[in-house]
Amino acid sequence: MAATFFGEVVKAPCRAGTEDEEEEEGRRETPEDREVRQQLARKREVRLLRRQTKTSLEVSLLEKYPCSKFIIAIGNNAVAFLSSFVMNSGVWEEVGCAKLWNEWCRTADSTHLSSTEAFCGFYHLKSNPSVFLCQCSCYVAEDQQYQWLEKVFGSCPRKNMQITVLTCRHVTDYKTLESTGSLPSPFLKALKTQNFKDPACCPLLEQPNIVHDLPAAVLSYCQVWKIPAILYLCYTDVMKLDLITVEAFKPILSTRSLKSLVKNIPQSTEILKKLMTTNEIQSNIYT
Amino acid sequence: MASRYDRAITVFSPDGHLFQVEYAQEAVKKGSTAVGIRGTNIVVLGVEKKSVAKLQDERTVRKICALDDHVCMAFAVLTIFIGLTADARVVINRARVECQSHKLTVEDPVTVEYITRFIATLKQKYTQSNGRRPFGISALIVGFDDDGIPRLYQTDPSGTYHAWKANAIGRSAKTVREFLEKNYTEDAIASDNEAIKLAIKALLEVVQSGGKNIELAIIRRNQPLKMFSAKEVELYVTEIEKEKEEAEKKKSKKSV
Repeated sequence: MAATFFGEVVKAPCRAGTEDEEEEEGRRETPEDREVRQQLARKREVRLLRRQTKTSLEVSLLEKYPCSKFIIAIGNNAVAFLSSFVMNSGVWEEVGCAKLWNEWCRTADSTHLSSTEAFCGFYHLKSNPSVFLCQCSCYVAEDQQYQWLEKVFGSCPRKNMQITVLTCRHVTDYKTLESTGSLPSPFLKALKTQNFKDPACCPLLEQPNIVHDLPAAVLSYCQVWKIPAILYLCYTDVMKLDLITVEAFKPILSTRSLKSLVKNIPQSTEILKKLMTTNEIQSNIYT
Repeated sequence: MASRYDRAITVFSPDGHLFQVEYAQEAVKKGSTAVGIRGTNIVVLGVEKKSVAKLQDERTVRKICALDDHVCMAFAVLTIFIGLTADARVVINRARVECQSHKLTVEDPVTVEYITRFIATLKQKYTQSNGRRPFGISALIVGFDDDGIPRLYQTDPSGTYHAWKANAIGRSAKTVREFLEKNYTEDAIASDNEAIKLAIKALLEVVQSGGKNIELAIIRRNQPLKMFSAKEVELYVTEIEKEKEEAEKKKSKKSV
């Protein structure tokens, strides 16, 4: 161990050579370790459940139901946008939900997540059942993202569907020479796969165009399987549920994938305002 | 690069950033929106009031505070701090003590610029000491000086301060500032009522639930400070909404 000038403690590599005995001990896995590892894997499993019966789906979601259009909202602002503008303009039926647990979840119990907890819901439009929507307000950890993709898309997805992903990131993640104070946040940027030919409704994310978490996993998956997909990323300086951030997604309503799904915009704005007031969380830390 | 130079406040990064100070400015953005306007004969401070918890005593959640209140001459220095509540309380206390100390020493109340400079110097000290972190607060300080001129100052966590004609701090401050840049005209601040309406209109750009979530205070020249009640704010909001409707009707008539 060594201390740096700043007082951090860093592990310095040992120049005396590796100790063989220590390494062997570390490699031997006891049955207890195996048990713990299996328990942890079971706890962190991503389960896709059918709506009515609450039983697990045997095949992946998109293998079971044919899909031409899939809109995924990840994060509370994106979910609020879809809830107010898209889900209120048609009749959507819940098809299933994904239940998962990781360290970011507030509850310790993975089996009894109530419907008000952060979760992942899948819906399809009653008038056109090949249009799917996913509202994901929980955090899907790195080790769970592959499972999620497998359970939703399957191991051999159809190529004739179009994926649209909506999510938010904090403006400090946006790589730029300017200071974050001078950026016009919230603002929208897009990142698309090679097979997505339609124009985006906002500028593309400039280099270094790095995205994280589940949206990145979905885009990578779509790029590998040559599925046309686009990610609309809203950079904002207010990460909690915020009216101005949600309204920054509005340009997407004019794109080909969402235009046909949205009917009544003024009513949607009213619904959004109501959603904001019911979700207001008081914090005394910040005045 | 940022992660290697942002652990200690007293360390510059190779390209000259003090990351802790910049991060402190992000903390300010987590607070509510506050707006300050300097009129011809009036200064206005408005802030978004977040809804309090059911069992919390609303009176103890005041955001606009007086730093100094000179009773005979009836002028005061009003301030609002946005960011970490606890930091705001500590700095307000120090500023109030300084106001009284100044009055006892030189027998004159502080000028708005003096107390702003004191607060800014205090904040700067905390960006240069080891073991301490910067204050995560920005402030809007308003008042009238002896010469009867209205003043509005803004400070930020780095310890800088500037005079402004109108400014906003906190959440979505940029949106409000852009609104003010467009609408702060000589006509807009011609009368006291117009200045008050401008402040409320600016806040309504970002306040989600309308007039009942706005706290407003004004000081008119040679008059004591006035805190508006919720009803009074509502009256202004109704007036603003009526004007908006009339403007829209005129527009639609013109286009027809």
